[in-house]
Amino acid sequence: MKALGDLRDYAVARVVGPAALRVQRWGNQWRAWRGSGWESAYLAPPLGVAVRGKEMVARHWLAGRYANRDRKVAWITSAAPVELLHALGFFIVYPENHGAICGAARVAVDLSCEAENAGYSRDLCSYARTDLGSLFSGRTPVGRLPMPDLLFACTNICQTVLFWYRVLAHQLRVPLVLIDTPFVYFETAPEHAVAYVQRQIETSVPVLEKIAGRSLGMAKLKETGTLSREAAHLWMEIMQRNAHQPAPISVVDQFTLMAPVVEMRGEPATVDFYAAMLREVDGRIAEGVGAVKDERHRLLWDNLPIWYRLKDVAEMLGAGGAALVASTYTNAWGELADLIDPEEPFESMARTYLYPILNRGTGHKLKTMRRMIDQYSLDGVLLHSDRSCKPYSIGQLDQRDRLARETGVPALLLEADHNDSRCYSEAQVANRVAAFIETLER
Amino acid sequence: MQPDVNVAPLPSIPRRRDLARAHHERGGLVAAVLPIHYPRALLRAFGILPMEVWGPPNVDAARAASRLQPYVCSIVRNALSFLESGGLQIADLLIVPHACDSLQGLGSVLLDFVHPAQPVLPLYLPRNPAPEGTAFLADEFRALHQRLAEVTQRTPSESELMQAILDEEVADDLLRRVHEQRPTLPLTTFDFYHLVRAREFLPLDSFVSLARAILAMPAVKSPPKIPIVLSGIVPEPMDMLRAVDELGASVIADDLACCGRRLYPAGRSRDPFMRLAESLLGGSPDSTRGSPIQDRLDHLLGLAHSTGSRGVVFHDVKFCEPELFDLPVLRRGLRDAGLPSITVEVDLNDAVSHQARTRLEAFLEMIA
Ligand code: SF4
Ligand code: SF4
Repeated sequence: MKALGDLRDYAVARVVGPAALRVQRWGNQWRAWRGSGWESAYLAPPLGVAVRGKEMVARHWLAGRYANRDRKVAWITSAAPVELLHALGFFIVYPENHGAICGAARVAVDLSCEAENAGYSRDLCSYARTDLGSLFSGRTPVGRLPMPDLLFACTNICQTVLFWYRVLAHQLRVPLVLIDTPFVYFETAPEHAVAYVQRQIETSVPVLEKIAGRSLGMAKLKETGTLSREAAHLWMEIMQRNAHQPAPISVVDQFTLMAPVVEMRGEPATVDFYAAMLREVDGRIAEGVGAVKDERHRLLWDNLPIWYRLKDVAEMLGAGGAALVASTYTNAWGELADLIDPEEPFESMARTYLYPILNRGTGHKLKTMRRMIDQYSLDGVLLHSDRSCKPYSIGQLDQRDRLARETGVPALLLEADHNDSRCYSEAQVANRVAAFIETLER
Repeated sequence: MQPDVNVAPLPSIPRRRDLARAHHERGGLVAAVLPIHYPRALLRAFGILPMEVWGPPNVDAARAASRLQPYVCSIVRNALSFLESGGLQIADLLIVPHACDSLQGLGSVLLDFVHPAQPVLPLYLPRNPAPEGTAFLADEFRALHQRLAEVTQRTPSESELMQAILDEEVADDLLRRVHEQRPTLPLTTFDFYHLVRAREFLPLDSFVSLARAILAMPAVKSPPKIPIVLSGIVPEPMDMLRAVDELGASVIADDLACCGRRLYPAGRSRDPFMRLAESLLGGSPDSTRGSPIQDRLDHLLGLAHSTGSRGVVFHDVKFCEPELFDLPVLRRGLRDAGLPSITVEVDLNDAVSHQARTRLEAFLEMIA
């Protein structure tokens, strides 16, 4: 019976499922080619490559359903040194990405309620609540989440992940490997911080190897590092193409198209995917196609997306001729590409993973925003004040004031939450955005 | 209802402002120190008087509203409000240890945007309990030592530093004994915390004398009526403690970040920085140090069992992620072990609500 079950799962995961997803992609590509199914008066249709990205992500989650049968599974935070785990053959799940999928599918509140009913405060990060709710209820829009053999957390995005993963470690009785990355308050991290991170990465290897049941091959690690760097470079190039006017790819599209560089960096398919995307973006530039049909204003987005209102926000802005051209969030997945050195994997991982924007000071973010305003010729900034993501949000009030004062570029604070739609007021956001666009028109 | 203890006359505690003035007159500097963990002895070796800033409660929180969103905890918001309203003018420098995303954000906002008159010295607390974490913290203290030398224009010798550490270890040991002796001390819960929290700002000698005076108090014979454990970050607003006393209960042990989680054991190394790091990381499990929840649960159960406590009150600051994440597992674990618990969520600027008091009363009645 078990053999039959295994065979069935194998067939679904490796043959039937992927084939069905491929057929679905062909259908989507056909519809995209004919221009059918796209109804926005203000926004260009998504990039053609988006259907391929969707298929990659869907395949990943499909494989995930059966991953526990023949792979070691790691649950990992989004900016952790994933190259190690790829090189050791782990199947990788990003609970934050899963949270985002739940948010976009508008099931996050339901799942959060499950966590809240179990005693988790509504003031906690809504990704964490969503995922804990999914774990407690067994419900997920991806079908089935593979259970972890390993939890791998890196504090370079927030301390919250450590508290969250401690809960997971307790609940699931699974080992937690922690890479603690001291917060970088000043321009550079002190050398003892780099040494600390490097030592942790190195000492994690035997633990990971034991769980993986295999040794870490340096050649494989280098190859993974190289692929990771290539994908991050390509992603950065794609974003930089938005210096063109009109901008060929909106930040809203970037939010969904960044999934592979977050969860599949280090894989050859990810490099191919972004190479194809870059070609398509260049094609758009050659044809003068913009993500917003009548681009009159170019905006910067700060903080996580509002996953459950992505399209609405894009439409709202598009109606006013405003394109979201750049974002500190999507930028974060490309800006460190140059730090990855596959020849010096441990030291370069230590440096790379110390410097994500979320592990740096509020002044650094202001500097980054100023640079982006110049680089992308932006005329406004939207700062999403994200109720349950404090590390990204603290400092935004000063950043808003300083941007307006020092660059003359108006900046608007939008109160919401990345996953919890109960913190989103449709009317208030619409009014504030409309008033903001009016300011830009003056 | 009156508390069932023989209340002894309390040793008097000087005011912070007077202490700071006297310290300045002696040529020393005063450091305002934000929560939670920091190397007191290192500051003292430089002749600096540390004065901790846990909020403070009941300040005009609106002062911080132009810089911090309302979903940031009141400890952080109040600290900024207090600074912006001139409350920290007595301080010559600000130390901002890293405890959570919110304190991290505050440190960064101070450095990048507020630019207070005093130098701001951040300090990162390692979350990795492995030896790498201790070695990193020792290095972090070395870096702080260097910054303090720049600020104070003096450099204590290694033996001076070691002496400061040894002196502080004496005070730490006395504080631990005061906590252990709590069940027999003739003090109300309110008075107990009023006294032991003086450790947050008293000069070393004054605290040592105070601790000795407390330990010399005559022991009460009858145990408190309803012994409970208090867990959380800080026992503010202190009115909550008055309520505990009035309702006939007594906090007999605590797992508070500002009190029981800072009963540091002495370090072992001869290297002063390593010794400081070992001591600071040797305290009882703490969410802000990233301790495993099981360790916290075991510690809470141990506290309750060793003191005969009948229940645990979680006194949590609203929006405090480190504590709120651990809470459900801790409460479930306590319940499974037959120990009831209750959560009271507070904002440092709000008086203890009627509702909170009623809930506490009901809880105490249940466990009495
Ligand atoms: S707190 Fe913010 S950075 Fe941390 S996991 Fe949640 S959304 Fe991500
Ligand atoms: S109360 Fe909690 S959130 Fe606030 S500063 Fe303390 S540890 Fe951080």
